Amino acid sequence: MVWKRRIAYINLTTGKIISKPIPKQLRQLYLGGRGINMYLLYNHLTPEVDPLSSENILLVGTGLLCGIPALGSGRCDIAAKSPVTGAIGDSNIGGFFAPELRLAGFDHLMISGKAEKPVYLLANDGNIEIHDANHLWGKDTFETQDMIRDDVKDEEVKSLVIGVAGENMVRFANVRTGMKNSAGRTGMGCVMGSKNLKAIAARGTMDIEFSHPDELLDYCKQMNDMITETRWARAQSKWGTLIIYSNTNTTGLIRTRNFQLNRLEKGEDLEPENMDRYTIGMSGCYGCSVHCRHRYVLKEGSYAPIFAEGPEYTSLGAFGTMVDCNKMETVLVANHLVNKYGLDTLETGGLIAWAMELYEKGIIDEKDTAGLKLEWGNEEILFQLITQIAHREGFGNILADGFNTAISKIGKGSEYYAIQIKGMSSLHSDERPTPSLALGICTSTRGADHLRGRPAIDLYGLPQEMLQEIYGAPVSSDYTAYEGKSRMVWWQELLYAVTDAIGTCKFQTVFCAVHAPKWTEFKNLIQLATDMKFTESELMDVGERIYTIERMFNLREGFSRKDDALPERYFKESTPTGLPIAKGKKIDRNGFEKMLDEYYVLHGWDHNGSPKKETLERLGLDKEPSHIV
Amino acid sequence: MQKILFIDPEKCSGCRLCESVCSLHHEKVCNPTRARIHVVKWETSGLYVPMVCQQCENPICEVVCPMRAIKKDEKTGAMLIDYDLCVGCRLCMMFCPLGGINLDAKSGKVLKCDLCNGEPRCVQYCEPQALQYLNATTINLKKRRKAAEKYSELMKKMLATV
Amino acid sequence: MSEVRCLNCLKRFSVNAGADEAACPYCKTRYRISWPRQDQPKIRGLVEKSR
Ligand SMILES: [Zn+2]
Repeated sequence: MVWKRRIAYINLTTGKIISKPIPKQLRQLYLGGRGINMYLLYNHLTPEVDPLSSENILLVGTGLLCGIPALGSGRCDIAAKSPVTGAIGDSNIGGFFAPELRLAGFDHLMISGKAEKPVYLLANDGNIEIHDANHLWGKDTFETQDMIRDDVKDEEVKSLVIGVAGENMVRFANVRTGMKNSAGRTGMGCVMGSKNLKAIAARGTMDIEFSHPDELLDYCKQMNDMITETRWARAQSKWGTLIIYSNTNTTGLIRTRNFQLNRLEKGEDLEPENMDRYTIGMSGCYGCSVHCRHRYVLKEGSYAPIFAEGPEYTSLGAFGTMVDCNKMETVLVANHLVNKYGLDTLETGGLIAWAMELYEKGIIDEKDTAGLKLEWGNEEILFQLITQIAHREGFGNILADGFNTAISKIGKGSEYYAIQIKGMSSLHSDERPTPSLALGICTSTRGADHLRGRPAIDLYGLPQEMLQEIYGAPVSSDYTAYEGKSRMVWWQELLYAVTDAIGTCKFQTVFCAVHAPKWTEFKNLIQLATDMKFTESELMDVGERIYTIERMFNLREGFSRKDDALPERYFKESTPTGLPIAKGKKIDRNGFEKMLDEYYVLHGWDHNGSPKKETLERLGLDKEPSHIV
Repeated sequence: MQKILFIDPEKCSGCRLCESVCSLHHEKVCNPTRARIHVVKWETSGLYVPMVCQQCENPICEVVCPMRAIKKDEKTGAMLIDYDLCVGCRLCMMFCPLGGINLDAKSGKVLKCDLCNGEPRCVQYCEPQALQYLNATTINLKKRRKAAEKYSELMKKMLATV
Repeated sequence: MSEVRCLNCLKRFSVNAGADEAACPYCKTRYRISWPRQDQPKIRGLVEKSR
């Protein structure tokens, strides 16, 4: 049962490994996954340590509901102090690793110290061993997984791995598993590289026990039906997240040429329907009935043949609109390259697009780029820069340190052109027509991000009554308005925090699908799986607790209201194109600040974004760090 | 008429729902190694094949079982293990050409698909319909149609080049 | 089910089965349509003025 499940503490410096059960008290406060990881990070990390030092800790956590046959329950949360931002580092990954780790007997891993030489961890049926990884160093993310399977002589071994980008400590290197899945954001692969940790492998045959297996099984069917009946999931089953492009590029909500345009003209080739030319089928993560990932083959071109999985909507922006490339094949090659090297798609594309704009504006020239002509729409330059970043060569070495360092190295007003918050790149969505989405990227605890609190359903212009029912108070139906939008962001932040803690897929809750499982269904699933009882509002409090301890972490590291800021361009430059609803829009500074004030009030934080005393007491956070584990 | 658990690997998304559903239904825990169905995956080439007992017409498992513990269920056609007779010699597992019989490492028992008494749970949860429970004649027609589709594609290509 | 939501005025309107183009009856925006399922249309992009 759930309170028997274990956390392992692995010290890579000393090689010492111990494990303990996770107390039920911690489950009730934080559930699992991201929730428990955030608790551990706040409790165990010494403030102000260098993220690349051996004092940083790396946390791997499976969701509370990991293993249930519903809602893509195979998600894993990876956390550390971020080498991209210096704030919370936290990234969530699907695929098949998390259930395998659970089957191997562990829910959470806390990895500290630094190995002398490259190593990988192998968790297997209650044991964890540290193995030599010299032979894996330098291998790409696909080869590494194959080689570990060969080492262990077991085809069913699942691994979290880094590629050469992580080894080279590219700040935004990611952690990968399988062909497709990435814990992309906040540089968790860089932290692994800094610890000489090439991979974490798992193989298990132990049971995952649930409190009410028969009822749970039936309820899981209801959950899967609930999500697959939504229009969103039905379209996503066919074309994946690429379907978002149809809406955003048609409307004018997509960053093009970094931030110069909000729509890619002649962007038809990037339409999701065109993936049919390359797709051999879709694939799903563990326990998913939506299956949003393309398995694709590229038979022609200088990088062919390629078999890969993806691309995502993010890839269309990072290697399409933002760099002004309008060919699907460019995106497919670039997607494969970043996955092979282990680079975050979003950060890589964001930095390259920024550099191209700096080059166009004359802020950098060929002397700075070691001869690379950073021209818009040049796919060869794109591929070269991706490769350079991963290997820390040439101009790529400057970008490899991320926005914060690159801005200070380049100077000359380059900061104005960087679409980043807290040092992390924002998605290629253009939020100037959508105040709610603009607020969400600013308040995200892990730096500019759309998966922390994005109220994507705001774009549907839903009836007021429906919005009131979902969000619990009046919210404007108009996505260009400011009224009630702080409430949307706050509510979504709590929902996503709980989703990441139970370890189900965000696309299978209220992200883009309105009629998807949320508080009531989550509460029921938790009860059937673990016998822990929550009311909807108690579950929202868990989300509030997770989000607030993240905020406390960031405050301790010196972040505050000043860091919840939109890039200046959102206030100064209006959207030049798009449908009438999205054209000529920019964010109103007063409107934005008012939303931010309201947002802090909803969380129970003060004007500067620090949690109030009564909030800490209400959530039981007033005694942190409490060191329950 | 008896139905057959029909597998279409081209539709399989590799999500492994079938495995966890199977173990949860039969063993009351989630544990793919204790499931009666298994998705064999070649991840790096994108190939996923669900493998499960095909309830053969002339089952080798029945023939090799020294205890005569494997018998056909007249209602569903499933080959069922009588655990009162089974001694756990695992001969059935060794001889099955499809790997249709699994060993439960925990209990030491051999496990095989029992078609859930005519309502296979894995089929109910398989959204892409890579698993279907169909009449044998339907399957034949489906296969013919599929083969015919390939044939007609070929015809179209030939006509286009003429 | 065979409706789409106009991306400009956000009102829902129905699309003829199998159609590859449709115009919003309210704001007149013209869209190219695709069909992820037989019973579910989806906006693919704009009908460009040059066409
Ligand atoms: Zn309209």
